[in-house]
Amino acid sequence: MASQIEVEALKQSFQEALESTRDIAALDVLEQEYFSRASGKLTLLMKGLGALTPDERKVHGQMLNALKNELFEELGNKRVMLEGKTMSDIAIAEAIDVTQPVEFPPGFGHMHPVTRARWDMEEVARSMGFLVEDGPELETDYYNFTAVNIPPTHPARDSMDTFYVKDHPHWVMRTHVSNMQVRLLKKYGAPIRAAYPGRCFRNEATDARHEHTFYQFETIVVDRQITFSDMVGVIKALLSGLFKKDVKVRFRPKFYPFVEPGVNGEMTCMLCDGRGCKVCKGTGWLEIFGAGLVHPHVLREGGLNPREWTGFAFGMGLSRLVMLKYGIEDTRLLQSGDMRFLEQF
Amino acid sequence: MYISKQWLQEFVDIKNIPPQEIAKRLTLSTVEVENVRVMGQGLEQVVVGIVKSVEKHSNADKLSVCRVDIGKKELQIVCGGSNVHVGMKVALAQIGAKVRWHGQGDLVELKPVEIRGVASEGMICASDEIGLGEMYRKTEEKEILDLSGIKAKVGTPLAKALGFVDVVFEIDNKSLSHRSDLWGHVGIAREVSALFNKTVRPYKTPSIPKGKGVKLSVEIEEKKLCARYMAVCVHEVVVAPSPAWMQSRLQACGVRPINNIVDITNYVMLELGQPMHAFDASHFKTKRIVVRKAKNGEVLKALDGKEFALTKEMLVIADTAAPIAIAGIMGGEESSVNEETTMVILESATFDASSIRRTSNALGLRSESSARFEKGLTVERAELALRRAIALMLELCPNAKVASAVVDKKQVKTPKRFVDMSSESVERVLGLSIPFAITKQILIRLGFGVVRRGQALRVVIPNWRSEKDISIPADIIEEVIRIHGFSRIRPSLPLFSIVPPVDNPLRTLEYKMKQLLAHECGFTETYNYSFVSPELLEKIGLNLEDHFELGNPIAKDRPYIRRNLFPNMLENVEANLHRFDAVRLFETGHVYVKDDMTGDLPAQDLFLGLAYAAKETDIPFYAIAGAMQRVFTRLNISLVFRKDIDVPPWQHPGRAAHFLVGEAAIGWMGELHPFVAKKLGIESRVAILEMNLNALLPHLGGEKFYRPIPPYPRVTRDIAFVVSKEIAHIMVVEALQKISPLIVGVELFDVYEGKNIPAGKKSIAFHIVYQSSDRTLEAGEVDKIVVDIEKALVSNFFAEIRR
Repeated sequence: MASQIEVEALKQSFQEALESTRDIAALDVLEQEYFSRASGKLTLLMKGLGALTPDERKVHGQMLNALKNELFEELGNKRVMLEGKTMSDIAIAEAIDVTQPVEFPPGFGHMHPVTRARWDMEEVARSMGFLVEDGPELETDYYNFTAVNIPPTHPARDSMDTFYVKDHPHWVMRTHVSNMQVRLLKKYGAPIRAAYPGRCFRNEATDARHEHTFYQFETIVVDRQITFSDMVGVIKALLSGLFKKDVKVRFRPKFYPFVEPGVNGEMTCMLCDGRGCKVCKGTGWLEIFGAGLVHPHVLREGGLNPREWTGFAFGMGLSRLVMLKYGIEDTRLLQSGDMRFLEQF
Repeated sequence: MYISKQWLQEFVDIKNIPPQEIAKRLTLSTVEVENVRVMGQGLEQVVVGIVKSVEKHSNADKLSVCRVDIGKKELQIVCGGSNVHVGMKVALAQIGAKVRWHGQGDLVELKPVEIRGVASEGMICASDEIGLGEMYRKTEEKEILDLSGIKAKVGTPLAKALGFVDVVFEIDNKSLSHRSDLWGHVGIAREVSALFNKTVRPYKTPSIPKGKGVKLSVEIEEKKLCARYMAVCVHEVVVAPSPAWMQSRLQACGVRPINNIVDITNYVMLELGQPMHAFDASHFKTKRIVVRKAKNGEVLKALDGKEFALTKEMLVIADTAAPIAIAGIMGGEESSVNEETTMVILESATFDASSIRRTSNALGLRSESSARFEKGLTVERAELALRRAIALMLELCPNAKVASAVVDKKQVKTPKRFVDMSSESVERVLGLSIPFAITKQILIRLGFGVVRRGQALRVVIPNWRSEKDISIPADIIEEVIRIHGFSRIRPSLPLFSIVPPVDNPLRTLEYKMKQLLAHECGFTETYNYSFVSPELLEKIGLNLEDHFELGNPIAKDRPYIRRNLFPNMLENVEANLHRFDAVRLFETGHVYVKDDMTGDLPAQDLFLGLAYAAKETDIPFYAIAGAMQRVFTRLNISLVFRKDIDVPPWQHPGRAAHFLVGEAAIGWMGELHPFVAKKLGIESRVAILEMNLNALLPHLGGEKFYRPIPPYPRVTRDIAFVVSKEIAHIMVVEALQKISPLIVGVELFDVYEGKNIPAGKKSIAFHIVYQSSDRTLEAGEVDKIVVDIEKALVSNFFAEIRR
C-alpha cells in the first residue's frame, strides 16, 4: 500500500521531469513512464489497491485518482505549450498567397428547409402586392409589447416567456414578428400591404415540441374599408397560392391583444386534401394560423386614425409549417446544424 | 377546466341537446372543448342484481354457483368472490359487457361459458373489473363489489344506480385566459344560452342574515392589490363530509371533496369562478384581518404541507401577528378548517391579477384559486359568491348561524360601462349583414344591455366582463360574430391599387447568396441559435465582455448573444466531422454588436458566415476563397482580397485576409489557428469567413456592358518565373497590366514550390493575352512587350525568368 510519502515523492519527481522537458518527443516518453497501461509508475501504484480492504481501497483509490487527474492535466498543459512553440512560426512556414485565384469545382449543397418555406411564402405575398420586410430581432419592449396593445402588466411580459437583455431593461429578444406592425405603419403609413417573416424567441425549455428559437410569418393589410370578409378572402388566396391548390379555411375565436375580433384559423390539411390523415389526426383540418382585425390601439400607435383606416393581420408558425410539410418530429433538428438532417433538403 | 353538463342544466335548459353538439358549438364560438367525457361509459351492460342462492361448485373448491335476480330474469352465475352471500346486491355484468378480468389486461367481452362444466350467464364483478377500483377499494383479493347499501332496484343500470349520469366537458384553459367570467359554470351556461338561444335562469342569492356576537374587522394596507375584501364569521358549524350530490359534482370537476366547509368554497368557485377561502376563526385572537405585503423572511406552511419563504413583494392575509394565507393562492395549514372547527371566517375578495401571477410564479405554487385570480376578476362577483356560500352553509349545517356583520372593504366604485357605436358598423366591419334582431338577441343572451336610437347603439357591458375584455365597438362586434358563427362570413377580396411592392434588396441579396452557395458552390445551409456559450467563446479566445448577455436565460448553457456567426458554426463543424469527411456550411443571420448603436437599438446587421473543413485538405482557405470568387462573379461585383498580417490570436497568422468591394471592407476570411481548432476538438484545418451583407448592399447593381467583338486576332504568350513566396499574385497582375495597353488578359495557370525551386521561393506561370482594337498585332510588337515584361518582373520582384 502506497504511503502518503510515496505519493508525494512520485508527484515531485514527475513535476521535476516535466519542468525539464523541452520537446514533444521527450514529453511522449515521460507520459509512457508514468501513465503506460502496463508499467507506468502511477499505474503500478493503482494496481496495488487490489490488495487492500474495501474501506482502505476506497480512501486510497480516491486519493490516487485525484493525483492521476492532477498530473494528467499538468501533462496536457505542457503539451499545449510545447505545441504552441512549434506552431509559433506557422505565420511564415505556412503562409499562403491569399490573393491567388483558385480552381474551385462546382458542388451541390442544400438550403435549410425553413429558408425554402420562407421564400415560397414571400414570393406568394410579393405576387399579391405585399412588400416584404425583416426587422430587428433584438427589440425595444415598446415595439414588441406596448405598441401592440400588450401593457406592462400583461402576462406575456413575464420573464418566464421573454428573454431580456442584461443591463438593458427595455430590450427584449422579440417574442413574435408582430413587433413589425407599428414599425411598418410608421414607416410606410397607409394603405399598406406587408409581409414580415422572421426569427422569434421565447424563454422556455426545449424538447421535441418546444424551441426557444422559432420562425413566424405574418402579414398586415391596412386600407380604407377592409372588412373581416376581406381578411378571409386574402388568407384563402395566400394559402391557396402557397400550396398551389384551393384550400378552405375556418375560424374559431382566439384572443390576441393586437387584433379584435381575433381568430384562430384552420385550413384543409394539405397532405390529405381534407380527407383525414395522420398529420391532421383524421380531422381534415390543420390549425396553423392566427388572424384578426387590427386593434384600434395598434393603428393609433402607428399614427393612423382608426375611424379612417381598418385592416387585418394574419400570422403563422413557419417552423410548424415546415415540420408538418416534411413530417419532422423533433423541432430541435431545425437548429441542430446536423448535416444528416440538413442534407435531406 | 371541467364543466359538468348536469350543473349547467341548473342554469339553462339543455337537457335535450346532445353533449357533442354543445361541445362543437362551444369550440367554434367560445372555448376549446378538448374532450367530452361521459361518466359511467363502458357500464352499459352492467346492472344491479341480488343474489338469490349460493351453492358450492361441484367441481371446484373456490367457486360458487349463484342464482342472481336482475329484475326481468334470473341468471345462473359461477362466481369466485370470497364475500358472496344470499341477499347481497351485486354489480352484474351481463353477456356482452366488457370487463377487465381481475382488474388486469385488456377489456374482454363476456360470452356464455361453461366453467368446469357449469354454465355461467355473466359475471358478478369486483370493483376493479369495471373501472371502479379507485372509488371502491377492495380490502381483499377476491372481494366482489357489495352494493347492498344502495337503494336502487334490481335491474337498474349500474351507472344510474351510482348516480353516473353526468357528462363532463374538458376545456382547454389556454383558450379562456382572457375571459375570467368563464371560469365557472354560470359563465359557460350564459354562453350556451346564447349559442342555443335559451333563457338563462337568473342567479339568485339570498342576502346574508345579520349576525351578532363577533366583531370582525378588516384592514387593507395594499389598496392597489386588493380591490375588495369581504368577510363574515359563522359559528356553530359542524364539520362533516358534504352531501353526496355536492361531492359527486366536485369529483366530476376534478376537485377532491374534503369537508362540507371547504367543499362549499370550492363549489362556489366552480359555479361562479370566484375563489373563496374559509379560515378556522379560533385561530384569530382578535378577529382582525390584515391584507398586507409579507415581510422578507416570513414563512408560511401552506395547506399542501409545504413551507414557503415569503418576500416583501407578496401579498398575504395576516392576523395581527403573522401571515395566515398567501392571498388568492393558498391558505395556511394552521388556520385551516378541520373536524374540531366550530367557527369559520369566510373570505371572498378581489386580488390584483399580476400580483397573484408574480407571487404564484415566484413560489412555484399554482392552485385553482390563483388560476382564476390571474385572469382578473371583477369586484361584483365577490359579493355574489359570499351570499351563495353562506346560503349553502346554512343549508348544509342547519345549526350554523352568522356570527358577525358582513365586512366589506371596497376600493373601487364601478361605474356602469357601455360602448356607443353605430348599428351599421357591424356590417361595415364584418362585410356581412346581420339582422339587428339577431345582434340584439345575441347580446342580450350574453348579458349585455342594448339601447337603440336610430343608427346609434348603446351597448351596456355586464359587470362580469372585464375592461380588458370589452371596451370598444370591435369587442362588441366580436361577441356578435363569434356567436352568430364565423362560418357565415363569405370570403371577399379587397380593392387594392395595382402597384408593385417596395423592393427589399437585402432579402433578394440574401436569398441569391444562399442559392449560389448551395447550388453552385456545394455549401449546406445551417441555422444556429442566436445565443452562444461562454465556454465556446473562451476556448476560441473571444472576449465575453464584447457580448450582450441575456438577463434571464433558461438555456443556461448559452447565456450570451452572438456577435459573430462563426463560433456556433465551428461547433457544427466539430460535430459533423465525426460523421463526414468534408463539412461545408454557411449561415446567414443577425449578429449583435455592443457599443454600436443605431437609434435605440444596437447594430444588428445581417451577416453571412462560411465554414469549411475536410479531412485531407491542408489549406481549406482556398475552397472558401474559390466560393467567394464564384459568388461575386455571379453577382457581377469585383472583389479584392488583401492579406491581413496583424490578426487576432485565434486566426492563422499566415492565412488571413479581408476583402474589399471598391474601397469598402465588407468581410474577412481566414483559417482558424490550428491550435484553437484543436482546443475545439477539430483535428483538421478549418477555414471561416464572415461578411456583412448590409455593408455589401450599396455596392450591388453592377450592370454588364456590351463591348463590340474586336475583329483582330488575339495573341497568347506564356511566361514563367521564380519569385519569393512573399510576392502576392495580385501585385504581379497589377504590375503586368500597367506595362502596355495591348495586354488584355493576365491569367495564372501554374504555381509550384518544392523540388528544384529554392526554399522560400515559388515558380509561377501566366498566360498573357495581347490584342489591339485597330490592327492585327505583329510578332515583333509582342516580342518587345515581352521584353518589357521580363524587365519589369526582374526589377520589381527580383524575378528569375525561366526559359
